[in-house]
Amino acid sequence: MSAPRPTELAQLAGAGLEVTESPPGSGLPDGLALARPRSEEEVSVLMRLATQHGWAVTVRGQGTKSAWGPDVERCDLVLDTTGLNQLVEHEPGDLICVAGAGMRLSELQELTSRAHGYRQRLMLDPPGSDAATLGGLVATRAAGPLRTRYGTMRDLLLGARFVLADGTIAKTGGKVVKNVAGYDLDKLLVGSLGTLAVVVEVALRLHPQAEARESVLLEGVDSATAAKFLIALRAAPAVPSVAEALWPEGAVLVQIDGTRDGAIRQAELVAELDPRARVLDLAEASYWEEVLRNRPWDRPGVVLGVSVPLSATRAVLDLVADTAIQEHAVALSLRGTIGCGELRVAASSDKVEGVRREVERLGGQVEVHRAEPELRGLGSRPRDPLAGELMAAVKQALDPGHILAPGRLEGLYQTAASPIAGAAGG
Amino acid sequence: MAVTSLALRRQRLTFAIGAVRQNLARGPVALPQPLAYDARMASPAATPDRALDTLCSELREIVGPSWALTGADDLRTYECDGLTGWRQPPLAVALPASTEEVARVVRLCHRLHVPFVPRGSGTGLSGGALPSADGIVIGLSRMRSILQIDLENERVVVQPGVLNLEVTRAVQAEGYFYAPDPSSQRVCTIGGNVAENSGGAHCLKYGFTTNHVLAATLVLSDGRIAHLGSACLDAPGLDLLGVLIGSEGTLGIVTEVTLRLLPQPEWVETLLAAFPSTDTAGEAVAAIVAHGVVPAAMEMMDRATIQAVESTMHAGYPDCGAALLVELDGPAADCRSLFQAVEELCRAAGATEVRVARDEAERALLWKGRRGAFSAMGRVSPDYYVQDGVVPRSRLAGVLAGIRELEQRHQLRVANVFHAGDGNLHPLILYDRKEAGGAERARELAEDILGLCLEAGGSLTGEHGVGRDKMCQMPRLFSVADQEVMDRVRSAFDPHRLANPGKVLPTPRLCGEHPGIYRPHPAELAGLAERM
Ligand SMILES: Cc1cc2nc3c(=O)[nH]c(=O)nc-3n(C[C@H](O)[C@H](O)[C@H](O)COP(=O)(O)OP(=O)(O)OC[C@H]3O[C@@H](n4cnc5c(N)ncnc54)[C@H](O)[C@@H]3O)c2cc1C
Repeated sequence: MSAPRPTELAQLAGAGLEVTESPPGSGLPDGLALARPRSEEEVSVLMRLATQHGWAVTVRGQGTKSAWGPDVERCDLVLDTTGLNQLVEHEPGDLICVAGAGMRLSELQELTSRAHGYRQRLMLDPPGSDAATLGGLVATRAAGPLRTRYGTMRDLLLGARFVLADGTIAKTGGKVVKNVAGYDLDKLLVGSLGTLAVVVEVALRLHPQAEARESVLLEGVDSATAAKFLIALRAAPAVPSVAEALWPEGAVLVQIDGTRDGAIRQAELVAELDPRARVLDLAEASYWEEVLRNRPWDRPGVVLGVSVPLSATRAVLDLVADTAIQEHAVALSLRGTIGCGELRVAASSDKVEGVRREVERLGGQVEVHRAEPELRGLGSRPRDPLAGELMAAVKQALDPGHILAPGRLEGLYQTAASPIAGAAGG
Repeated sequence: MAVTSLALRRQRLTFAIGAVRQNLARGPVALPQPLAYDARMASPAATPDRALDTLCSELREIVGPSWALTGADDLRTYECDGLTGWRQPPLAVALPASTEEVARVVRLCHRLHVPFVPRGSGTGLSGGALPSADGIVIGLSRMRSILQIDLENERVVVQPGVLNLEVTRAVQAEGYFYAPDPSSQRVCTIGGNVAENSGGAHCLKYGFTTNHVLAATLVLSDGRIAHLGSACLDAPGLDLLGVLIGSEGTLGIVTEVTLRLLPQPEWVETLLAAFPSTDTAGEAVAAIVAHGVVPAAMEMMDRATIQAVESTMHAGYPDCGAALLVELDGPAADCRSLFQAVEELCRAAGATEVRVARDEAERALLWKGRRGAFSAMGRVSPDYYVQDGVVPRSRLAGVLAGIRELEQRHQLRVANVFHAGDGNLHPLILYDRKEAGGAERARELAEDILGLCLEAGGSLTGEHGVGRDKMCQMPRLFSVADQEVMDRVRSAFDPHRLANPGKVLPTPRLCGEHPGIYRPHPAELAGLAERM
């Protein structure tokens, strides 16, 4: 049961498996064994050992989002996926690629952009995630401004290979866009925060990159104007890739990708929706691009993912401007009918809870994306306790020994009626 | 249900009881799970006759006497879905009117250990709604209300029996539509679409059912009612809704669904290009993709299909080796120039003719041949079997060449119609069941085509589902471990295996049998729906 020493683990796993000690500054406890498998077979061996010994395993990519979701209850060893970083296939004609789960997002973008005669990439841009691994992006369902047009990992993942807690190597989906053979377990892996399986390989849908991008800015407006503009945008003859409300700056940024003429024409149409909106020149556009990339929650504080119905956009913006929350900042992207965004609040449990209550009252929900361990369990719970029970049953079915990130998922699915014990400020 | 004479009713009941007896006589193998069998046999009071009596009378109590069908004639209506080669009348059919009634019916099944099969319109093409001999069918066709239209938030809440097209009809005057558009959309239900994760000709751009559902109410196989998803994206916890969609009725019964709506595109334009061969048409497809265009639809037909279409419905298609139908939609500002580019790319790839629809009527005509391709085939060939396989788009040419070789080897003709944009093939295998071994050869050829798809890195099914028909093919794509993982997830939802047992995941007992031959679905014959 007790955590294996690195040397002990290396011995048990046999030749080849790279095992080190958790490096200082990694946020991990000192002296923890950190295994870096280079193949799914090595992952399988490792997980079989963990099951035999009852070791709790935390799966880790680059660690850019290790503070997402409820904290784990125990961790005996870390499985570092960065050794699983091979490009398996990039078929530009099919707009797909298959890669190891430990590959960095930036590397994948670089590799896929190289295909001669094509301009395509993975349309996923979570802020500050260039270093993030593909597997980590699956586990966290992290998304950025582009989700307005292209969705999240849920919409981009076509298939995966994964290893269960007991070492079983399995796959789901495939590498074709259209596929209904068997259960869609891809969906189960997306957002599961490393609690169900170790994802070792992913097949992803790519999209063509447009010829041109134009930006429209609406600045210095109040929440009512911003909300009205976003609603009008839905009906406008334009398809924005990005539509972000930046608050409390009082700005809405819209980006349109298209043909050279098409993008500019659409941008003009969008700018006509409000007299204060205007099409940006190149310098301004790249300034705002930068603003989006370094959104305010790169500063310390609790970051919450919020998601509300479109009709509640204004109310959320007002909530952000509410001085009671302090240190507020939000960027809300419009995803169809829904505003999805990230909200930074002062790091105290009563603030987090207050925001959650308010967002839930508006018909939305809150995820904790970054917080101190004691605050991470404060996100919204499934509204139906039975849904939580089913999630527990799925976890039990796939990881009966509860060795993959124990406690983390339990913290997510326990419903509001039965908050997890120990959630500070609870 | 019409009033039937007592004698007739008794006769039907006897028939149904006969089915139970037969079942039990065959021993435990006739039941999906030893567990269910043992449980029933362990209770001394539950003799088969009495069990059936209890079942039927309680069903009547729950849904009302006219909505519990037990007569042989009524049951026969439910003995198959769109894949008519598989037939099996159920013990009874319940047609509940509400989530609560569904839950009560399912609780009854749970208590008596009777499996149930959910059913929408029965247009499924993989035998997903094929009844179990020892179970009942729960039809959702009476649950046909649109419960809420919330245009402000671009969503609707519907009951599962609402027909796909009814959703768009309810909101189109306001400028919205529901994107997934299976060609059976005039007759298939939203519940069936959710179960099959249905797509349509336009899913290349818009995605499948799974991309358009926010929440669902699910009656579990013990009768408890679960609410999955939420009114927004990113529902907390595991994405069980994502697993439910496409699970073919094996995780429970969906009784309410929240769907997303989309604003109608500003601009739609359609062209039909004629090519000397499917290879040249395929080059055009590749060039369009390389150019970075994502058409709303991109459909291909080969010569055999075009000829059948022309000889039966005179859509005015050019006489050529392959026809490519391309539709673009979106903001006019962008689409006009992209559409021009598509036209030029087609010509550059060798198109001998490019026709652009000038108005709605002409667009309908261009689609007419495509939509009617299957029924046209039914008129030029005594029988046909439609396969549903997927290949990576870049491997289309090779797979089509492979199909031509298979035609030679099996001495049968194959007409090809397919969604070229996403590599979803629908080869139509033409045969005559009156010819000795005709059906058998057709089946072998169909399986060989799947083999080609899988070798090319594709899939067993792109939209028709696994159901009963392809259950035994699952091992060709998924290892034992892959299937076991799916099975574990299934057990988490339905530990007693009462929800649509004997579907999707193969069982040794069922996979010894051979599927029957294809006959057109009544809806298809009536011209209500076409296959895509
Ligand atoms: C002519 C024709 C053309 C077609 N074209 C297409 C096409 O273009 N694209 C496509 O994807 N499909 C197509 N199909 C297949 C079929 O129409 C779809 O699979 C459709 O979604 C089935 O809906 P249904 O209501 O008829 O479901 P049914 O056939 O009644 O059931 C299908 C499956 O869903 C389950 N089910 C039904 N309702 C529920 C519920 N409420 N809860 C849980 N499970 C449920 C059943 O148990 C079964 O497994 C076509 C079929 C025909 C006959």
